[in-house]
Amino acid sequence: MASRIRIKPLDIVIVLVSAGILAVSAIWAYGPKAGDAKVVIKSQSGEWIYPLTTDREIKVPGPLGDTLVGIHGKTVRIEDSPCPNKTCVAAGAINEAGQWIACLPNQVLVRVEGGAENAGIDASVY
Amino acid sequence: MPESTLPSTKDFPSAARYPMKKSSAADVTALLGAFCFFLSALEYMVPKPLPFMRLGIANLPILLATDLLPLPWFLALALVKVVGMSVISGSLFSYIAVFSLAGTLTAALTMRGGRKLFGRHVSAVGISILGAMVSNAVQIAIASVLVFGEAARLIAPPFLIMGLVTGTLLGLFAEAFAGKSRWYERAKALLGGTEEGRA
Repeated sequence: MASRIRIKPLDIVIVLVSAGILAVSAIWAYGPKAGDAKVVIKSQSGEWIYPLTTDREIKVPGPLGDTLVGIHGKTVRIEDSPCPNKTCVAAGAINEAGQWIACLPNQVLVRVEGGAENAGIDASVY
Repeated sequence: MPESTLPSTKDFPSAARYPMKKSSAADVTALLGAFCFFLSALEYMVPKPLPFMRLGIANLPILLATDLLPLPWFLALALVKVVGMSVISGSLFSYIAVFSLAGTLTAALTMRGGRKLFGRHVSAVGISILGAMVSNAVQIAIASVLVFGEAARLIAPPFLIMGLVTGTLLGLFAEAFAGKSRWYERAKALLGGTEEGRA
């Protein structure tokens, strides 16, 4: 009885094509955006843009009720949500361009756009 | 019980209407459907950043059935999986079930189509990745139309990475299982397997 996993050349081609599609989607999604960092909130009733630098709390209406979004200390998070599982609340705070929090049941998407991308390097020496 | 009192097919006239192969396909579909329910329950326990973002382990029975079941039973299994997953996650009568239905049906049809197109030139790994990537791409498209608009592009990379990784792991598992399982071997022999799935 054969028990060995036999990978075929076409499997490798499928992996490579998938990785290529993935790379293109990452560039499309997280490519550099000009301007100051801002919070973009999209819901069923519209889209709102706020600076990440000003603390505030926003009630975003959705089909299940209001989602409470808080901007504090240059980070944004969903503080409360009427959705059943609260995975959006558990997602925590975001502060870098390209990061997002989504609440599908209440149809709210919070994302950070613009500002300097964090390259992950604080300093370099020679 | 004396042997003479055991029921025979004569006692069940309806049994004669179903040829053996058809009832075997129903049995295998029922068993794999039950596995879909069980794996959906396991999947539900794993935390996820989006309600429709899933590991896809409940697709494993569908992946195994790609080479096993005739198309009508294969599609029936896919629908059983959608209903099972939606019942367990409590989203059967919400629009989130649309994501599950579209994702599962496209994954099932892509895997089946991939096998028909590539035959034995691709293993369960490639078939599984194809299904996962196409299914996730369709769900991103639906998220873009129904909920997030153009901003759905942000969820595309993590969603596709998830598809690639879980698709690969499920494919490896399915390939190993198909190579080792006596039950799978027997079921394939009994059902004859799909035309493209035969070695």
